Amino acid sequence: MLLEYAAIAAFIFVTILVGFIAIILGMLFGPKKSTDVKAMPYESGMNPIGPGTRRMPVRFYLIAVLFILFDIETVFLLPWAIVFRKLGVFGLVEMAVFIAILLVGYIYAWKKGALEWD
Amino acid sequence: MTQSDLITILPLLALVVWACALLLVDLFIPKGRKGWTALLAAAGLALTMGLTLAQAGREASGFGGMLRLDGFSTFLNVLFLGSGLLGVAVAYGYLKRMDLERGEFYSLLLFSITGMMLMAQAADLIVIFLALELLSIPLYVLAAFARPRADSEEAGLKYFLLGAFSTGFVVYGITLVFGATGTTSLAKIVEVLAAGSLGTGSLLLTIGAALILVGFSFKVAAVPFHMWTPDVYQGAPTPVTAFMSVGAKAAGFAALMRIFVMAFPSLSADLTPVLWALAALTMFIGNIIAISQTNIKRMLAYSSIAHAGYILMALVAYGNPAVAADSVASALFYLVAYAVTSFGAWSVVMSLEKPDAKGLEINDFAGLGRRNPLLAAAMTIFMLSFTGMPPTLGLVGKFFLFRTAIEGGFIGLAIIGVLTSLISAYYYLRVVVTMYMREGEPQAEGEYWLTFTTVVTALATVVLQFLPAALFALAAGAVLK
Amino acid sequence: MTAEQILFLLTGALILGSALMVVATRKLLHAALWLVAALFGVAILYAILQASFLAVVQVVVYIGAIAILFIFAVMLTRREMRDQGQQTRTNWWIAALLGLLILAGLVFLILAVPGADRLPAALPEGLDTVRALGNALVSPEAYVLPFEVASVLLLAALVGAVYIASVGKKD
Repeated sequence: MLLEYAAIAAFIFVTILVGFIAIILGMLFGPKKSTDVKAMPYESGMNPIGPGTRRMPVRFYLIAVLFILFDIETVFLLPWAIVFRKLGVFGLVEMAVFIAILLVGYIYAWKKGALEWD
Repeated sequence: MTQSDLITILPLLALVVWACALLLVDLFIPKGRKGWTALLAAAGLALTMGLTLAQAGREASGFGGMLRLDGFSTFLNVLFLGSGLLGVAVAYGYLKRMDLERGEFYSLLLFSITGMMLMAQAADLIVIFLALELLSIPLYVLAAFARPRADSEEAGLKYFLLGAFSTGFVVYGITLVFGATGTTSLAKIVEVLAAGSLGTGSLLLTIGAALILVGFSFKVAAVPFHMWTPDVYQGAPTPVTAFMSVGAKAAGFAALMRIFVMAFPSLSADLTPVLWALAALTMFIGNIIAISQTNIKRMLAYSSIAHAGYILMALVAYGNPAVAADSVASALFYLVAYAVTSFGAWSVVMSLEKPDAKGLEINDFAGLGRRNPLLAAAMTIFMLSFTGMPPTLGLVGKFFLFRTAIEGGFIGLAIIGVLTSLISAYYYLRVVVTMYMREGEPQAEGEYWLTFTTVVTALATVVLQFLPAALFALAAGAVLK
Repeated sequence: MTAEQILFLLTGALILGSALMVVATRKLLHAALWLVAALFGVAILYAILQASFLAVVQVVVYIGAIAILFIFAVMLTRREMRDQGQQTRTNWWIAALLGLLILAGLVFLILAVPGADRLPAALPEGLDTVRALGNALVSPEAYVLPFEVASVLLLAALVGAVYIASVGKKD
């Protein structure tokens, strides 16, 4: 039964392999002359000011949290959708309740401006 | 869905719907008029209370035995809803005064109470886990509600990290119990245990039960799982602390009683010594450390730890079938006594609290007896009740606890309880002495609902002791079968 | 040894090695990436146990969402992206000893369970686990209550997250 996953395993293996090959070929054949200009983030752009790592706005975090919540909603939706026809009206009502409760949260987040970026 | 399902879940359903509606309605209530949100939240709690009381005496089971409606759940649900109502009453003026007035407070409070009610009704380990999360997550946020004030943020973060950690213990315990018995339903666990086919799996079960005990010991703040309590109680906004010290503790004990009395009486030979040690340590350490506190919130936090120990004392005897009923009844009785007293004491603290966590030293109570005799008298009653002295409900509650311990044959534990109560008199009475014997000019807040709460809880602490039989009969009727 | 057992051992090594790197590496971002590797190993474990849906959920939710949240959280902090100080405390050996004790206890516990040394029986041919899960989620006799409570829990968490992260923006 694990053979069903063979394609996924092969896919992952090939991806890693290609990555390694690219790096190793570069190491083998690339010229190794390092200059200050080359080490800059933008070789032909502005000179960088300050450190490269900065604090990101907290908004990213909020978006990520919202994403997790709705991601989990999707996870619940999938098995339900597969047996949806067999469940009939009762199943529909239950999923409607589930989504309605999360919809309340969505409206709340929207009204509070959690989805805006300013 | 059958009728039995519906009856079992009705009060919960009402509260959930109300909480969701409140969340939406609050979006349209302009800032500065959040009194409406508070009023609506109280109305929802009152409605749910009405539904719960209307169902009193009824027994039902729903959702394939996952949810139960019985005397136990009704008793506790009334306690949760009552503390929710008191929480709204004290929070309204406090939030306004401290410039924290936000509608989310009330929605989160309702969600947390939903979790507590679910906890009291749950008869399946999965539901117990979900209830634990549902009651805890809003409390983590509420503890940090005064952000960006640093101590409130610290309280929220600390409570969150340690709370998540303790939930991990509970989940690990649940998996081990499931691994041993093959089911999460408490009723079916009993069947499996009765069949006696567990063999070596019983070790797994015992360790699972012990891990669940550890997780809930965090929630009820029993030593040695109490480290978070003082910091969280001190940093959280005081109405949240008051609600947390009553609601979260009662919910933790609800789960412990439901799981241990219902499913694990057969493990009592292994668990009773553990419970004994937990109770003794909690009473001892909570009371000893409370002595050295100068901040009233920290002192009450240690007092809250100590009281968890007294309630645990009743549970030590849970495995003895002759005493199990008394053990649950006296724990429930004491939870009520503690809830009333604790809410009262916190409401007095709130009356004296000034912005930026000022006015919270015990010394700030100096002169209250002359300045505001009513408030000082109320505080005296609460301190006497905490100590377990007449004429208060605390005395009756402690009497029942000690009686249960002695009936169960744990005389040593009862003696520790009496001794630590004597120790506790020192720091409780110090507050009284400070109020009446020392000079000071405290400015007390005369906000209507806050005073109302203080007066009601003070009256309840005194009056309820005259009808202990009636209250104890209610608690005894709430015993798990 | 069957192919499954070999795969299990390799996966176990992957999970443990990555988990060790999570706590041993000095760079926070690398720790988050090692965590992704460990979480992926858990997904393989689910696949070995024939819980294909859970394996996918593990990848989608834990790697796709939670690990991303970790990385965001790392980037939200100030510039201290690497740990400069000493990585061990003076009494680290007490913790190591305790860890070993717990490990020994767990091994003993697991060996005490009847059937722990045998391979689990394969699922019956033709059993669709996703279908069974879908049915269980909405059946009143099974898990409909936890299912609906989960949505209330998610709602409470959402309100909390929005409140904590966006104070001071709008009213």
